[in-house]
Amino acid sequence: GRRGPVSPGAPRAERGPAPLPRRRRPAAAAQRRAPQSGRSGMASPSERGLPPRGGFSHCFIPVYRFQENADPQKTAFLLRKQWALYSVTPLYKFSSGKLREYARLLGAFIAAERHKGLAVQVGVDLDIQVTFSSLPDLKGSEQDHAAMLVQLSSRSSVSPKNSEEKLMWSGWFCCVSGDDLSENVPEDFTCLPLFLANGAESYVAIVGSWFQKTFDCRFRRLAISPLNLTWMAAMWTGCKVEKNASATELVFSVPCLPQPLDISYAIHPEDAKALWDTVQKTPGEITQEEVDLFMDCLYSHFHRHFKIHLSATKLVKVSTAIASAHCDGIIKFLQSKYLIGVLMLLTELAISQIQ
Amino acid sequence: MDETVAEYIRRTVLKIPRDEIKSMLQTWGFLSETQLQTLNFHQTKDNISQDVVQLCEDNSADIKQAAVLDIIYNHIYPNKRIWSVYQMNKTGEETDFFDLTDFKKKFKRRLQSALKNVTINFREYEDNAIWIRIAWGTPYKKPNQYKTSYVVYHSQTPYVFISASVLRSTLPLLCQALVVASNYHDIREMELRSHCLNSLKDIVFKRYSQTFQTYYPRPLQERNVAPENVDLRIIQENRSEKERIQRVNREVFGDGPQPKLEFAQYKLETMFKSNPKMDVLDIKEPFRCLVKFSSPHLLESLKSLAPAGLADAPLSPLLTCIPQKARNYFKIRERKGFFPGSFVSP
Repeated sequence: GRRGPVSPGAPRAERGPAPLPRRRRPAAAAQRRAPQSGRSGMASPSERGLPPRGGFSHCFIPVYRFQENADPQKTAFLLRKQWALYSVTPLYKFSSGKLREYARLLGAFIAAERHKGLAVQVGVDLDIQVTFSSLPDLKGSEQDHAAMLVQLSSRSSVSPKNSEEKLMWSGWFCCVSGDDLSENVPEDFTCLPLFLANGAESYVAIVGSWFQKTFDCRFRRLAISPLNLTWMAAMWTGCKVEKNASATELVFSVPCLPQPLDISYAIHPEDAKALWDTVQKTPGEITQEEVDLFMDCLYSHFHRHFKIHLSATKLVKVSTAIASAHCDGIIKFLQSKYLIGVLMLLTELAISQIQ
Repeated sequence: MDETVAEYIRRTVLKIPRDEIKSMLQTWGFLSETQLQTLNFHQTKDNISQDVVQLCEDNSADIKQAAVLDIIYNHIYPNKRIWSVYQMNKTGEETDFFDLTDFKKKFKRRLQSALKNVTINFREYEDNAIWIRIAWGTPYKKPNQYKTSYVVYHSQTPYVFISASVLRSTLPLLCQALVVASNYHDIREMELRSHCLNSLKDIVFKRYSQTFQTYYPRPLQERNVAPENVDLRIIQENRSEKERIQRVNREVFGDGPQPKLEFAQYKLETMFKSNPKMDVLDIKEPFRCLVKFSSPHLLESLKSLAPAGLADAPLSPLLTCIPQKARNYFKIRERKGFFPGSFVSP
């Protein structure tokens, strides 16, 4: 599979509010990109026969017509929660018309696993309810399959009528602008390459193994490399800053010392954006050089004060007003306005890991 | 015995590691040796604490006695709390003779006149350390024994170490009482905080090995290389640079163990200066950042950065000045006309 950094121009975003045609990246820029990829097997877009990718919109505004439909009320429950990220290979013979049946089958599977004494920390007198639902607003292009949510709730089995249903675990599959993958799979396959889970990890194992058995797919934990984290830092910093927005924070870790050290470097959001705006030259396009320059500026400002080379440490977490991302593959969405945009980026990472 | 006292004693005993319970109860001295003999320390801590409560019931323990056990626990395990350092000032040179009884009386009186519902306990230790435990109440509620502040005052010094409880509103009153009782004029909070009380003491009492700009003889170049590296084909290319780093590090950090701090925080309001090579516009406003370093043992960690190749030697004075300046919270603004700009504001 293709590993390595996110291809810089990959997710196509349209500048809002007026929908514009997809921007094409000049050939020269594609050339510039090649040395950075450095990984074998990563062909440049023109070699693959696809049109060259457009750059990121510098405000990272998602595809307009879907943003218009996306109801912030419906997606509010996705915000401000920690989601663990996984990549999922395409599902074989999945049908969105059979969600009720799948819920029933998964419920039976979980009950069987509990009976065997495997996993689950739920008390003996609790029933686990499974629901499958569709999130049609969470997509980026017409070809994307609607996102799908799986939820596990517990209810007392002794007095089911009286007890409250308590949500224990949520996981959702989505595909935002995943045309790269969905255009290239045979008909019986459904592409939902990104999976996000909140709740005990043991449930991911159970739900994951049911999906793997039923749809012949494979789940893999999706880590985020420091390189991709710097992209996120740059892109999210570039978004319009609301009043009282939170700082752009970068967390670095130096574990291999006799005494480990963590460094949190938080920049006022207005100042961070001002710096990014002076670095980012071409509207509608972000290049690796610009991201590198942005980071080098931050590193050199830090070095001037502390004489420490941050570039030699490990970037583990990036946090902005838009979202926060951790290298172990954990994301937190903080604003519904940018939800689709962040999902687009994560979908790209998931597809990268699958291919 | 009051139910709340019983519960408090039970919870305090539960905090103590099982091997330490007996010796701590002995130090407490509230239960007789005979009573202690009846305790089975090989059962679960839950059961031990129940048995202790029963014995305290037999002796009719009250809250004051329970509080003493809490002080003893916190004295042995001070690192469970976070401590801030305060410095008191007095004008004039006279050093008054310190009268402990007078201090205690004035302190209690000051607090109790402002707040009727407050539990105050004192305990003196060697090295002139006075431990004060305060449980805070309100005019209408009895003191909450779980929301306590601790004060450690070394009477021969102007320094006070305070572990405030969550009730930060009580701090001004506490500071006032300290100033009045110790015959000082005022008190200010130093920007120095840590879990390790002894390290804080080391820093303000200058008990760590300080660095002096003395001549350090070149470290033993004449000595043969240790036998592990007999292969003459292996040459250390930057041996002299490594030695320079070690030497500079020792000059800056000193030879002895570093005081133990867990974090340092810098609020930067300096100008952003771009490297001319980078061709980035100069920004006219200060570049506002907040940098926080954290580590189980921060100073040792910083000391190891240059030898590990992650930092230049000498390390920035912003970091190496922490013990001398006795602070780990800084606000850095641009110093006019100097580069690199660093002006430490109080």
